[in-house]
Order: sequence, then structure tokens, then C-alpha cells
Amino acid sequence: MREILLKTESLSKSFSSGGVMQHVLKNIDLELYKGDFTVIMGASGAGKSTLLYALSGMDTPSLGKICFGDRIISDLKQDELAVFRRRSCGFVFQQIYLIEGMSVMDNVLAAGLLTARDKKALTHRAEELFEKVGISEEARKKFPSQISGGEAQRVGIVRALINSPQVLFADEPTGALNSRTGLEVLDTLTEFHQSGQSIVMVTHDMRSARRGNRILYLKDGAVMGECNLGAYQHGDQERHEKLSGFLAEMGW
Amino acid sequence: MRKNFLIACSNLRRAKGQTVTIAALILLSSCMLNLWLMLATDYKQNFDRYHEKLNAEHVTLVLTGEDEKMREFVAGILEADSRTEQYSIEDAMAMVGSFTYGGGEINSELVILEKQAALSRTLGMVEIVEEGEDTSGIYIPMLYGMGDGHKTGEMMEITIGSEAFAYKVCGLSNSIMAGSHNCSMALLLLTEDKYRELEESGAAPGAILVSVRLWDRNEGEDFEAMLKNAVSAQYPQARTLSNSYHDVSTSRYISQMICSGILSAAAFLVLMIALVVIASNVADYIQENMKKLGALKAVGYTSGQLILALQVQFVGIAAITSAAGAALSYGLFPSINEMMISQTGIPYLMRFLPLPFLVTVCLENGAVALAVWLSSRRIGKIEPIVALRQGMQTHSFRRNHVPLAVTRIPLQIALALKTTLGALKQNVTICITMLVLSLVVVFAGVMVENIIVDTQPFIDLIVGETADACINVNTEREADFLQLAGEDDRVQKVYLYNSAEVRHVGGIALIATMSEDFSQINNPDVCFAGRFPIYDNEIAVAAKYAREKGLKIGDEITLTAGGGEAVFIISGFTQISNNLGKDCLLTRSGYERMDSLMHESYYINLAEGVDIDAFNDETGSRLGDGVNAVINIRAVIEGTSRVYISMMKYIVAVVLILSVVVVAFVLFLLVRTTLGNKKLDYGILKALGFTTGQLILQTAASFMPAVILSTAAGLTVSAFVINPLTALFLSGIGIVKCTFAVPVGFVAAAGCGLVLFAFAVSCLLSLKIRKIAPRNLLVGE
Repeated sequence: MREILLKTESLSKSFSSGGVMQHVLKNIDLELYKGDFTVIMGASGAGKSTLLYALSGMDTPSLGKICFGDRIISDLKQDELAVFRRRSCGFVFQQIYLIEGMSVMDNVLAAGLLTARDKKALTHRAEELFEKVGISEEARKKFPSQISGGEAQRVGIVRALINSPQVLFADEPTGALNSRTGLEVLDTLTEFHQSGQSIVMVTHDMRSARRGNRILYLKDGAVMGECNLGAYQHGDQERHEKLSGFLAEMGW
Repeated sequence: MRKNFLIACSNLRRAKGQTVTIAALILLSSCMLNLWLMLATDYKQNFDRYHEKLNAEHVTLVLTGEDEKMREFVAGILEADSRTEQYSIEDAMAMVGSFTYGGGEINSELVILEKQAALSRTLGMVEIVEEGEDTSGIYIPMLYGMGDGHKTGEMMEITIGSEAFAYKVCGLSNSIMAGSHNCSMALLLLTEDKYRELEESGAAPGAILVSVRLWDRNEGEDFEAMLKNAVSAQYPQARTLSNSYHDVSTSRYISQMICSGILSAAAFLVLMIALVVIASNVADYIQENMKKLGALKAVGYTSGQLILALQVQFVGIAAITSAAGAALSYGLFPSINEMMISQTGIPYLMRFLPLPFLVTVCLENGAVALAVWLSSRRIGKIEPIVALRQGMQTHSFRRNHVPLAVTRIPLQIALALKTTLGALKQNVTICITMLVLSLVVVFAGVMVENIIVDTQPFIDLIVGETADACINVNTEREADFLQLAGEDDRVQKVYLYNSAEVRHVGGIALIATMSEDFSQINNPDVCFAGRFPIYDNEIAVAAKYAREKGLKIGDEITLTAGGGEAVFIISGFTQISNNLGKDCLLTRSGYERMDSLMHESYYINLAEGVDIDAFNDETGSRLGDGVNAVINIRAVIEGTSRVYISMMKYIVAVVLILSVVVVAFVLFLLVRTTLGNKKLDYGILKALGFTTGQLILQTAASFMPAVILSTAAGLTVSAFVINPLTALFLSGIGIVKCTFAVPVGFVAAAGCGLVLFAFAVSCLLSLKIRKIAPRNLLVGE
């Protein structure tokens, strides 16, 4: 029996746009499991990022329920959601979103110090993570605008993981990167997943999606289908074909 | 031009709050600037207009005595002097008198004329500005009929010499050179019957009123000194009163000078804050719109065009609001005018003054244009390619302030400090604002402590020496008076404090105040440098006069009085604003080296709770004719200071309200700019788990280092400079050194209040952070 990390019941999200209600997510019932690298795919406007932000407590649903473990996060107030996010979630954004006024190290520590009590241990963990993603000591002292896009996104991953979150959410993490640096970022995420990190990633890029072990396909605000690929292995052709077949089936 | 106008309009639409705040600051400063210019220019000229309208004299001399030879002697001097344009010599009565005014008592030299004789004067004409139906009574200077003064038709009691007279007020008069006690003499007009009655009573001796109009009014002071000197030499026993154009025009406008000085200072301070805010906004605009500016340059806009668009935007706001502010000042002017007339005693009809209006608008707009130009010159250095990269340079020499890995400061404060240290422009704006406002707070505190709560320091500074009562006795009864005072349990201290006129050879006439022992006087600050005279060859001279004449302590000066002459060594400097810095202190024996005293004024300190008026009346009746005048000094001071106190209350309230408004305005702009600049950062931090409350506190706290440091520095520096500044401000009336106590408690409390207010306002304005949702980071799917 796999441990459920996140669960939604009849999750709906609507926005009013120009006086017209737009139903972006429609009655989604979903279970996400601990240790999975779940990939949410779909065409533009399918509701992928909206679902990701609702699951991570960055946005509140219009209707329905979201449970994180045995906690209903959809009922939490804004400040309670903030505390939930800092303790349980990590985020990697498409646009990277490092804070320009802080050094690379401080970007990471600002997130870590929200929960950590032992600064020394936290700094040590940050250094370990930087080491792991290949950010040099010199780069850690720089400001975000002084490092490359790939480096910045890897800093974003370190920041997301500094609090050892139960789940790492990634919204199109390679969307703003070129293919080489994108690949580096995907390798980093895969590495962390392989070491036990639960990841939920939104993408519309098949190369990125291949890194996940479970693919959910969203269309018009509803989950149209899912595909279990099993653990990622570099150059696994069978896996690639299975995903292609699934996406073709979904009308990709 | 149209393109620039469109860019400016677009900027204005996107920055409504900023526009409103800058507009409010300019409105406020131009309103005060125009009020100041109106007061400093036309209001002061009003004296000259009335002086001309009433063909007023430039020198007035009142000489007790009715000897026809005296008239001829004076006429001979005036005829012989080529400076004389016109003169008149008329019969009058003159005596020291007192009456109630402003809740206290006014004590002044009174010059009394018969009404018809006064109205028929062609030189030094007297104007009736209000007239009732009564045909028997008195016409008083309009100053004493203003506000809650004496009303036409009511009875008023005047003590002339030592006798009290009750008169019905028939109306109010306006005499330029003798319209208030500030002119050294106040002119009272009596109807013929009352004039005869007074004449017969003998309470006021007969006198001649000499009015001289000169070809050159600047010769007034010298001419006055020459005339008095000549008359005193010829008639040493006669009592003389005099004034000149310069002294009267200065003394009647002291309140106007104080009020316009405060208004000018406040106007320039608010304008300076507005300019700092504008400069900071322009710099922020350039930073925020670097990409847009680069794009505009890339498509062919010149730097000049882009700077012109900013000029159109800010000078446009300034043009409209400075005109509106100047117009608004006309709405406020009537209440200031009323307050001023109650001090000057000269009517002023408000009218549109184009020159101050134009100067205000031009000055405000010029200053704004300069601030915009200085802060926008940077646009000229922007290269399109750098701008399109959002201003990012390939190299950065930025410092990482407060590195989180090593600092021991708590996270929230460390992040607030990072914002503080990374925002130089914001800090400069805050520092300038708080430094200026700290000075305002200290000024308010000093005024509250030394004028409103305890009037004595102000009185000590302006009046000099005070006591409870003053009794002027004839020399032949002096010993009886002193024996009487010595036996009276109610008398705590009695000491000679008598004034007489002396002339500095090679200088002008000075009021010499003499005492037998200056260690007895109540206000030792009268002599602020060196020491009081102890020996009969020593003198302490008014610092203002000494400065004008280049006199130093240790110098010798020669004085004459009553025909005698003596040399004195300067032992110290004094400041007594009553005489506009033309005074000196002598020992009694020192004065008597030149002349003997005919009568002496004694100052008396009475025991707590003694009725001063009852004491004066009793002493007066016991010594009979031996007493020339009795004065309730406390009542006189209360009456005089009441107007200053109410004016100061008004000024303090206005400056404190202004401070609060300015702090709120400036912080509104800064918080708004910070939120605009850091909107994305706040979204990221919220996504990372920072709560709204934490971010609000972080934002407000980021302003606090600059607020606290500049307030503390401002208060400390202001506490030291406030007295020299006040002295500088009052230098026109002879004040050289000011020793007002700085109320540390009030200033510290006000400083803390200012800091807490700034923090509270920052928190309130930062509430907008609630609206920043991490969801906004979501990039369109």
C-alpha cells in the first residue's frame, strides 16, 4: 500500500474574467504518493499551473478539499498556509525568481532560516546542496544577476530543498532555460528524486516529462488520464515509447 | 512636444498617489511662501503707505514744560537744520500711565492731545478709524480696541501718573508714530471737556509735542539724538520722550517679523522635502523604467526629449499646485491679518498682490525644474543596450549587506536591514525629512517650555528685568520710601532699577538703566557676556549696539547726560529687546558722575500671595505726591505676553500638525515606491512561507534605521542650535544670545512619538502587501 502524500476531492477553481466565470479546474479527485516524481502535463490553458499552486497551498480552491497527509490545507487561512508552505513544500519556478537584492547564499538561507533553529547546521546543509548541484563557492557569494540561468535555476532547487520539504513543486523548471542548462536542471531533479524526494512537476515538454514515474494529463481543467512509467533510467527506449503512446492517446 | 506630453500623461496616470502627495507638498509650501512674501513685502510697506497717507513725522519729541522760550529754542534748532523738511510744535500733556489690555495691564508713556487739535494737524495726522455716538470721552489707539480690547461706548479706567480717571471710549484712532506702547509713546485723544478736566487736575504735566518730517527718513535716528541732546543740554530738568521712523517701523512690526520668519522657514523646509521626494521619484522612475527608456532611445528619442517629458510631468504638477497654493493663502490671510493688526495696530486692507504670487509660482516651479533636471541627467548616460538589459552591468561592485550566514541579527530584522542598506535614495529622503522635522519638534518644544508653560524665560529674554511692582518716587521722598519698604513684611526685595537717557559721544542716544547693586536684580541673564558694572566708571553696553560700533569689553566710551560727561569702561554686554538694542547699564554713582536723579524707579519683589495693586495703592497713598507712578509689572507682563502666548500656541500647533502631515506624505511615497520595487520579491517570499505580517513589519522596519538615526541626530543637533538660531532670528530686536531651556523630556517624547508615528504609518501603508499573492508568480499557462 503506497503512502498518500496529497489528496484532492472535487477540487474546483474558477476565475472571473471580464464578468465571465472561467472554470479552470473541474471536480478533480486525485491522489499523489510519497516518493513519486509526478508530472502534470497538458496543453496551454489546461489548468496545470493552477492545479500545482492549489496543491502547494499557494492558492485556495473555489470548491473541494485538499488534504496533505491527514491535514486539510484547503481550509487554512493565508498565514497558516504560509507556515504550511515553509515547513512542508519547496518550489521551483519557471522564471527562477531569486531575490536580486540578496546573494545566492542569502537567497537560500532566507528560506531556511524561517524554520531552522541551528544556523550552523543550516549553512552546512546549504553548502552540501550547493555542492550537489554544482554551484561553486564563488558563485554562492554572487548576486542572481551575476550567474547564468542554469546556475540560477539550480540555486532555485537548492532553495526549494533547504527545508527538506515533504514535496518539491516545480512549475516548468526548464521553461526559461536553453536545452543544455535545462538538461542539467532535470538531472538535478532526477538525482534528488532518486534519493527519495517527492516531486510534483508541471511541464509541457516531453523530454522533461520522461523524468517522472507517474504522468497525469490535464485537459480543460480535468484529469483525462494517467500513465505510470516506473523509475527513470537514462536511455530507456521502452519508457519513452510508452509515454509517447500515452500522450498520443491523450491527443497531445 | 505632443509626444512628451503623452509620456508625461501616461506617467501621471500610473502614479496617482505620488502625484497627489507631491502636489500636496507643493500646495502647502507655496501657500506658506505666498503668505510670507505678502507679510514680508506689502505688509511691511503698509507702514510706509500709512506714514505717507497721514503725512507722518520721522522724529517725534515730547518735552514736558510749557515755557514759550522752550518752543522758540526747539523751533530755532529745527529751522537751522537743513535736514528738516517740515515741523510742527503743539500743546499736549505727557505722563506715564496704565490701563487694562489683553487680560493684563499696559504701562506706557502717554501723550494726550485734545481731539479737535489732533484732527486738525497737517503733519502727523491722526485718523479716526471707529467712532461711536458719545461726544465726551476718549479716543484710544485702535490696537487697544481690537479683539477683546476696549469697545466703543464702554467705560475704561486709565491711571495717569498716580491718579485714576474713567472715560467713555468714543472711538478708535490711528496714529502711525504714537499708535501703541511699542512706539515709546501712545497717543490718547480727549474730547475738549475731558482734556480741560485733566489739565486742571494736574495729573499730567503740560508738554510740547514736536513732530519733524525730514528730507531723508534714514537720518531719523541721528536727528532724534541731536535734537534730544540739544534740548537736554538746554533744559536738563525737562522730561523727554522721543522716537524715530526706524525704531517705530521696527517695533510695530516685531510680530509680523516673527510670523513671517517662521512662515518662510516652514515654506522652504516643506519645499525642500518636496524637492527631495521629487528627486527620489525621478531616480526611482529611471530605475523602474530602464528598459522602457532604453527602448525609447533605441527608436530614436533623445535624452533631452525624455528629460523634457519628466519636466512636463513634474513642472506641470508644480505649476497648477503652486498657483492653487498661492490662491489658498488668500483664504488664510484674513485670520493672519487679524492676528497681525492686533499687534501692529495699523489697519491693513487685503488685496491681490501679483508680485508675491508670481514670485511664489516662479520659485516653486524653478526649484522643481532644477530638482528634476539634476536627478534626471542620468538619462543622458543610459546606453540603450544596457537599459534593455534592465540596467544590468556586466560587472557589479555591490556589497552583500548583512550576510545571513554570519550575522547574529534575527532573520526579519536582517532582511529589513538588507532593504535599508540597499536603498540609499530612500535613506537620504528620510534623513533630510526627519532632520528638518526634528528641528521643528525642538523649536515647538522650546516654545512650549519657555513661552506657553512658563512665560518667564521669554519675558526675561524680551523684557529683561521683571519684578512684581515698580514704584517711581521723587528723590526727596526716596529715603521715606525705602524706610517704608524696609518695614513692610510684604516686601521681599526692593532695589533701584531706574532708566534715563544718555548719549554716547560719537554715537546715538541710549537708554541707561541703573542700579546700586546689580547682584540684586532678578534676571542675571540681562548681562550675558562679561559682567554687570560694579564701579562708577563701568558700563555694560547692548551687544547689538556694541557690534554696530565695534566696541569690545575693556574699551572706553564717553557718555553725556544732563550736561555732564564721563568716561566709562565696558565691563559687559547686555541684551534688552525693549530698547531694540540701544541700551546700557550703569551704577547709580556712575550715572551721577554726569547728572543727578530727580526721581527713581524701584523694583519690588513681594511675598507670595500679596495683592500687587493693593500694595501699590497703599504705598502711593502713604507717600502722596512723592510717588510719580506705580506699576503692577506682573499685570503689564501678563497683558503683553498673552498675545505672544496665543500666537505661539497657534504656531506650535501648526508646525506640529505640519510635521505629522509631512512625515505621512513622505512615507506614503517611500512605502509606495518600495512596494512597487519589491512586489515580485514579496511574492517570492510569500511563496517561500513568509507571512503577510512578517513582510509588513520587515517593510516598516526597513525605514526605521534611517528614521531613528536621523531623528536622534536631528534632535541632538537641534537642541544645540536652537538657541543660536532663535537669537539669530531675534537679532533685529537686539537679542544676541538666547538661553531658552530645551525640554529634554518633551523633545525625547516627541522624538519617540515621531519614530513610532513613522513606524505606525509605514505599517499601515504596507498593508497593501496583503494583496500580493504568490499566485501572481504564476506564468500564463
